[in-house]
Amino acid sequence: MGKSKRIWLLALTAVVSLSVVTACSGPNNAKKNTGTTEPTSAAATTETEPKQDKVTFKIFNGVAGSKDGNTNETTIGKLLEDQTGVNFKLEFVVGDLNTKIGTMIAANDYPDVLIPDAAIEEVLNAGAFIPLDELIEKYGPNIQRVYGKSLNQMRSKDGKIYFLPIAAQVNDFIPEPEAGAGFWVQRRVLEEAGYPKIKTLDQYIELIKNYRDKHKDENLTGMVSLTHDWRFFATSNPPMHLMGYPNDGNVTVDTNTWEAKTYAGAESTKKWLKALNDLNAAGLFDKASFVDNYDQYIAKLTSHKVLGFFDYRWQVDNALNVLKDAARKDPSLDGFKYFPLPVTFEEGTPDAYLDPPGGLVTNRGIGITVSAKDPVRIIQFFDNMLTEENQTLMSWGIKGETYEVNEQGRYYRTQEQIDKIDEPFRESFGFKYFSWNWPMYNATSTLADGNAKNVASQPEVFQMTLTDKDKAILEKYGVQTYSQLFAEPVPRPYFPAWGFAKEQNSPEQLWEASKDEMTKKYFPKLVLTTPDKFEAVWEEYMKEFGKLDTAGYEKWTTEQVKAKVELANQ
Amino acid sequence: MDKNTVPALSRPAADKEPGRMRLFFKKLGQQRALAVMSVPFLIWLFVFKYLPLWGWSIAFQDYKPARKFMEQTWIGFEHFKFLFGDDRFLRVLRNTLAMSSINLFFGFVTAITLALLLNEIRNIAFKRVVQTVSYLPHFISWVVAASIIQTTLSPDGTINQLLVGLGFLDRGNEILFLGIPEYFWTIFGASSVWKDIGWNTIVYLAAMTTIDPTQYEAAEIDGANRFKKMIYVTLPGIKSVVIVLLIMNIGYLLESGFEPQYLLGNGMNVDYSENIDIFVLKYGIAQSNFSLSIAAGMFKTVVSFILLFMANNAAKRMGEARLY
Amino acid sequence: METAAVHKKKRKPPISSSTGDRLFVICNYCFMIALMIVTLYPFVNVLAVSLNNAQDSIKGGIYLLPREWTLANYNYILREATIFHATFISVLRTVIGTVVTVFCSAMLAYTLSRQDYVLRKFITVAFIMTMYFNGGLIPNYLLIRDMGLVGSFWVYILPGIIGVFNLIIIRSFIENLPESIIESAKIDGAGDYRTFFSIILPLTVPVLATVALFSGVFQWNSWFDVFLYNSSDASLSTLQYELQKILQNSNTTTGTSSLDGMIQGATGGQQNAVTPMSVRATMTIVASVPIIMVYPFLQKYFVKGMMVGGVKG
Repeated sequence: MGKSKRIWLLALTAVVSLSVVTACSGPNNAKKNTGTTEPTSAAATTETEPKQDKVTFKIFNGVAGSKDGNTNETTIGKLLEDQTGVNFKLEFVVGDLNTKIGTMIAANDYPDVLIPDAAIEEVLNAGAFIPLDELIEKYGPNIQRVYGKSLNQMRSKDGKIYFLPIAAQVNDFIPEPEAGAGFWVQRRVLEEAGYPKIKTLDQYIELIKNYRDKHKDENLTGMVSLTHDWRFFATSNPPMHLMGYPNDGNVTVDTNTWEAKTYAGAESTKKWLKALNDLNAAGLFDKASFVDNYDQYIAKLTSHKVLGFFDYRWQVDNALNVLKDAARKDPSLDGFKYFPLPVTFEEGTPDAYLDPPGGLVTNRGIGITVSAKDPVRIIQFFDNMLTEENQTLMSWGIKGETYEVNEQGRYYRTQEQIDKIDEPFRESFGFKYFSWNWPMYNATSTLADGNAKNVASQPEVFQMTLTDKDKAILEKYGVQTYSQLFAEPVPRPYFPAWGFAKEQNSPEQLWEASKDEMTKKYFPKLVLTTPDKFEAVWEEYMKEFGKLDTAGYEKWTTEQVKAKVELANQ
Repeated sequence: MDKNTVPALSRPAADKEPGRMRLFFKKLGQQRALAVMSVPFLIWLFVFKYLPLWGWSIAFQDYKPARKFMEQTWIGFEHFKFLFGDDRFLRVLRNTLAMSSINLFFGFVTAITLALLLNEIRNIAFKRVVQTVSYLPHFISWVVAASIIQTTLSPDGTINQLLVGLGFLDRGNEILFLGIPEYFWTIFGASSVWKDIGWNTIVYLAAMTTIDPTQYEAAEIDGANRFKKMIYVTLPGIKSVVIVLLIMNIGYLLESGFEPQYLLGNGMNVDYSENIDIFVLKYGIAQSNFSLSIAAGMFKTVVSFILLFMANNAAKRMGEARLY
Repeated sequence: METAAVHKKKRKPPISSSTGDRLFVICNYCFMIALMIVTLYPFVNVLAVSLNNAQDSIKGGIYLLPREWTLANYNYILREATIFHATFISVLRTVIGTVVTVFCSAMLAYTLSRQDYVLRKFITVAFIMTMYFNGGLIPNYLLIRDMGLVGSFWVYILPGIIGVFNLIIIRSFIENLPESIIESAKIDGAGDYRTFFSIILPLTVPVLATVALFSGVFQWNSWFDVFLYNSSDASLSTLQYELQKILQNSNTTTGTSSLDGMIQGATGGQQNAVTPMSVRATMTIVASVPIIMVYPFLQKYFVKGMMVGGVKG
């Protein structure tokens, strides 16, 4: 009994001593906090006199991006604070976004600025954003310049603007040098075939088949496909691209009639799945595609055994980087790198793998909430961000430090600068905080002086990233960048259709959820069944698919497309 | 052990007559100390657990978080109709019940068996090591665990390689374990056991410490071997804890978990992997339809209460320990 | 059975070593070793991934040992200065939360174990029912906010004062104690307080240790309450929450947003990028090792504790 008494005594003393420690750590923290603000304020008063008092606003960011902190702790943020006196305390979402936003709405208590990401409809319905029209009118010359006539597309049903979409197209359109999507194939396959021009799916499959047949004993996989969880679109989107349409999500949009058509139950999807079914029958398709998780998929792409796949580059960046890295260290591994090809069903169809210009994603954005202390200062800050100088600052940094300018006025980075800008530098300099989720020029914009807004899109920078092998293979195809292999995008003012705001719990949302479930269930069956049963399974799938109100979904999407186009043409 | 002889006096709810009421308060007065030690917690319970129950009204509304309670639109049983009316609901319910029953059965059997076997190990150091190691997987999140399971079960994973190596399978005919719907429940059950067997054992080991050592001595004198002692001394010694836990868990039969099914599920095994929680996620939470998830929660609560009541009564009739 | 044994006076050697018993022991040891292999594997695997170069881990195929040893993943996580204060808060909430819930649950359990207590059934049922319902997230959030607990340390403690599961377990242990103990205490004139503090508490140490472990692990692993209530107050952040943050950041660090990273990677600069896979493995180790270390200390109460139950009143 004496022993157990001692235990409780121990526990008690532990608690007491811990609370003493907390009590002590309290003032410590306070000191730490002021410690960070002191030097900045001192610096500010000695250097440039800020126009107005210093203020700090809170931003809640619905997209996880980097660690929480103050913008004025970064080089870029400090410069912007010197110009405007405004600092932002950034908080990034950690758990479930809808939950977090739900509690904000229920309590009617918001940060000054909110980037609700996918939860934007709920925020708008809750009336959490203040209308920006007057503020933009009075304080936003740059906002007006950058968003221009897109401002009309941004209006809510009541005709007011409640948030600024992230990133708008400004000045000339410059495509990203690397394709955003495509049918990828190992370079050694192209090399052995003598660098043929591959245009159609049949040619692509033929290419892979031939290579495998010549290397039967190497245990090669023809194609894999990513199907894991929400990434399933990597398997369900190809029909759209194969028909020559850009990524509009669940629909293809005709640029003549602006009619939106779904394709999940159409001939194109049947053709695509039949192709996979045949591949599977020939032992060229990896069955495990339908059970593998994302990590397993990425691991397969780096295994050197997979000849080809379709995907968006941002999903496979990790794998591609590993292969690139290996090939740089040992050029003989270059053949395992993947090369993107603009594949369509028909020879004559121009591909549309490059995102078209004019796209403004209108279901994402940044808004000022009803809880904001001083909306004018915030909108002034946003406006100030959109000046040419600050856009340059946000993506290129400071001249002489993070970029150089040659005699022709072209921006470039030296190898030392490129090496210097690693992850910690991007954080401390502010590239990370200011790379996304602010009002800004989009990645395909150019600055007024003709330089690319996006550093990676600047041809001078891009050329530096190419290895000799890269240059050689691009030369074989007669191009300087990968994206030059792809057809030039056709402007689509509504683009992208997946960006249309859908009301919560609406028939459109329900259609998408049900369609996703159906395709996830039937696609594996369609691909893995024996070729003679394909038709029967397709019939079964059609029967299920027929239960959905697809016409209603198409009608709704068409209306949205037409409305956006009309607004853009005003 | 049987302490069911509760005097009628201690059932205040049943009391109607004023005389009995007075008696009740008189008794309560005598039990002041017990009341002081328990009633504050009752208040805490009311505030933290019962007050938020107003949220159940959401199930009958077209709920929008921004609106005040009085401004919500009442739509009656629409959400329940959606839930029960969907063709998928029966399948989802079946999967939920199947997986939680598997979990309940194997979870109990394996944990109790392991506890019994651990109890037979005389080498304290070894026993401690086994115990510590066996509970390690509990600390690995399902995300990580699922990825290990997926790797192990993949065509080039350990299990298939083993089967090929032993000659049960031909190379090239590896089994796509997670792609065969009928295997899913087994995989789920085995994974759950693997992850939590050590963790679930702890409470039984603690229960075994209360067994009077003289009972073992007595059994030994009777000539009982190890196995008999296990069956006739150890097992009865932890019976009451086992039964109480069992009743509690029977109440949870509609809670088959969420993460393992979600993470191991895919389009190929969806007919067997999708449970109520995943259904609610897809058609409720993912579309910000909070009402649907509350409606599903209410359904689960009602079923839980019925199951709990039945299990508790069964235990009572059999003269075993019970929950309340 | 007990009575039968008492009448038999003949003594046998304490350890009977029949062949059956010996076979049993051998099988038992073999089984335990097999179990250890199966349950140790995930941890070894996670440890190997955490010590392996993140870029290399992408290729898969890491099982028992790292291929390219590195501490970079640990550096990446531990370079965050916030981690240390958050760990302190985690320890604090674990210790306080556990002590409070074990003490309160035990106290309430004692009253509910008293068969003659007039409120016994009512309180028991009232508590058990709450295990099977939940008012939902928003009402809970509003309650916590209205109580002024948002942005407070006590939001980690107050909602969990009593764990119903723990309560029931402790209660059935107390009920399992020989009745004579409480009886004799009463005869000695001990009131309920004294009975609880000086008889019940010491006798239930094994179960209290069990419950302490359960609630300690729960407290240590919690991050959802931090996310809901204290996400904008860095001084109240916990280790698990900070790790969740790092994990989410690693998702985007390796994604497209990192254009400069891409350029750097493409020109051969050392990409110190981590991947979600390696961060997840590393955070599993960082978060679980401290709490796993606690186990051996509690373990002695339920492994060795054979004697405790034998104490007679």
